[in-house]
Amino acid sequence: MITDCRCSMTWRSLRRWLTPALLVLTIAPALGQARPAVFACEPEWAVLTRALLPEADLTVATTAWQDPHYIEARPSLIAALRDADLAVCSGASLEAGWLPSLLRKAANPDIRPGGPGLLLAAETVPLHQPHQHVDRSLGDVHPEGNPHIHLDPDAVPVIAGHLAQRLQQRFPGEAKVIQQRLLRWRVNWNLAREGWRQQAAALAGQAVVVQHGSFHYLLRWLGVDAALDLEPKPGLPPSTAHLHQLANDPALESALAILVARHQDRRPADWLADRQQLPVLVVPGTVTDEAGTDTLAALIGHIVEGLVEAMEATAGER
Amino acid sequence: MTDLRHFAGASALALFSSAFASPALLANELNPDIGVTLDGYYRSGEQALSHREEGFGLGHTELTLSSPIDDRFEGRLTAVLEDHAGDTELGLEEAYIQTTGLPWHLNLRAGRFLSQVGYLNGQHLHADDFVERPAAYRALLGSHYFDDGVRVNLLLPTPFYWRVGAEALAGDRLGDTDGDEDIGVYTLSTKLGGDLSASQSWQAGFAWLRNRLTDVASDGDAEHDHDHDHGHDHAGHSHGASYTGKNLYITDLVWKWAPQGNTRQSQLTLSGEYLYADDLNRYASSDDTQEGWYASAVYQFAPQWSTGVRYGEVDLKEAHGDHFHDQSLEETEVMLAWSHSHFSTLRLQYTHQSTDGFEADDNTVTVQYVMSFGAHGAHDY
Repeated sequence: MITDCRCSMTWRSLRRWLTPALLVLTIAPALGQARPAVFACEPEWAVLTRALLPEADLTVATTAWQDPHYIEARPSLIAALRDADLAVCSGASLEAGWLPSLLRKAANPDIRPGGPGLLLAAETVPLHQPHQHVDRSLGDVHPEGNPHIHLDPDAVPVIAGHLAQRLQQRFPGEAKVIQQRLLRWRVNWNLAREGWRQQAAALAGQAVVVQHGSFHYLLRWLGVDAALDLEPKPGLPPSTAHLHQLANDPALESALAILVARHQDRRPADWLADRQQLPVLVVPGTVTDEAGTDTLAALIGHIVEGLVEAMEATAGER
Repeated sequence: MTDLRHFAGASALALFSSAFASPALLANELNPDIGVTLDGYYRSGEQALSHREEGFGLGHTELTLSSPIDDRFEGRLTAVLEDHAGDTELGLEEAYIQTTGLPWHLNLRAGRFLSQVGYLNGQHLHADDFVERPAAYRALLGSHYFDDGVRVNLLLPTPFYWRVGAEALAGDRLGDTDGDEDIGVYTLSTKLGGDLSASQSWQAGFAWLRNRLTDVASDGDAEHDHDHDHGHDHAGHSHGASYTGKNLYITDLVWKWAPQGNTRQSQLTLSGEYLYADDLNRYASSDDTQEGWYASAVYQFAPQWSTGVRYGEVDLKEAHGDHFHDQSLEETEVMLAWSHSHFSTLRLQYTHQSTDGFEADDNTVTVQYVMSFGAHGAHDY
């Protein structure tokens, strides 16, 4: 009898703990659904999402300090992708080293290639430099084309349109406001673009030295030549032999500056700059949390301004 | 006819949607991803519990095919070619199907696959930082344990990463066993993980492997195969674990640090595992247990360079009929690796072993290359 009583006591106390615990387990995910959860592979897609759906619960997998090609498929990212309603990534193999592992482990029924919850920006716009013949002796090239599409003044509005459409599908209740915010975002973007165009008129025909194709689309839009690359092959770090070769390249004399992204090691650029009296322009490869580069428009403005300043400085010297 | 129209429609759509890609590229999209890993080495001496012989040799040569099967399944096949004493063996290491997008974040896998116990076991060998798996793995899991069976994984709805999983496996590949249980091995495992800051992340795991075949196994093996270690290396080459127990427990912990999370420039990885096996066979007393552990530190100090040190121990019981012989192995390894690209690695490794009950050289140096061409899958954490 006593034993029986003890048992029921234990059961009762256990139940007292178990019931709220079970409630939390069942309700927590349901509550989580209330706030749209968006997983952005890179910060550029996070700021676009924030412009269209500021109330979204955003997880950003990378920062401007990181090379988006090399990201660990970390446990925290798996957990975030599991809970997400929508994932926005660059695509075109930029995330080939980590996103497939995340997708597999998160096992989110909607977020998979071709699924309603995965938007790949590179699939919404034509890419430059697609390769019909690819082998790895060419370096780490993406057969689909250059995936660093996020600084192309003409492509970003197209991607924003696709993103708005996808957000509207996933969160129909917000469809109307998303549309309004998209229109407002477009007006601002077009205004900014006019500004870059005027600033950039003088830049056309100039040349810069780059490291990797991170700024390819923007430079092309500006009419700035970027034929000289510190990387011997795409994706390979600058080698001494290649730097020496660049130092002796006659084309280097006409270059405005060496443009590198913040996440890259700046020593190779500094080495070359010392030899040729070139300025080194270190800019974030994508948006940051800091004022002045916290939106795509601000970042493009920042890079264009940097290039214009470099040009004026060189013009003064020459 | 319908098929043909469907096909024409699909290819027209594909052409329309990516006007910049060539038709050849589009046709290739339907081929599975094919990847080959080449692994070759030169080793200056003989090592205990090793799958690699002295002198020049080939390690784990892999041919991998993988592809989505449809929108609900994906598949992977890995064939391994290994050379042992002049004989080339073709083995099937992975041949599985896996679900994508089941409800409740469930993940099902069936076929032959690497068991997810421990930290290293579920990873592919070519992703390792050292030439071989730690001694504890080589003794208790046959370097890497793969088998036929099914796996269920569930991601729990917690704010951090928490995965629980169970596997039911044939068990034939864990030790030289021939028990009559259809399901020889069960595993239960869990993994937890998260970020400590933008620069630091961690993962911890615990696994229990229940081996139902050990009772039958250990008598037959012992009497006539006194020189077990030697047999394992050469004539009786086996991929299974040489030492088993009814219960194998593994805990693992990994911590990674990269300044600002920029793993391209530099990264420090600390990892360690502890393995414990008990209930070795019907003659074993409760004192007869086997255990091993390792701790490893690998520092990638430049995009193309990494160096690391690993220390590991394993204490084993070699079954001889109704009694056991103690064996132990302590191993210190130091390595330097250069990866020209993401797909090519050259490695120089010095190994010091101090052994009890094994025949091996104290000091060995290994030079190894691991290179891959074709598709190269994403790496796990």
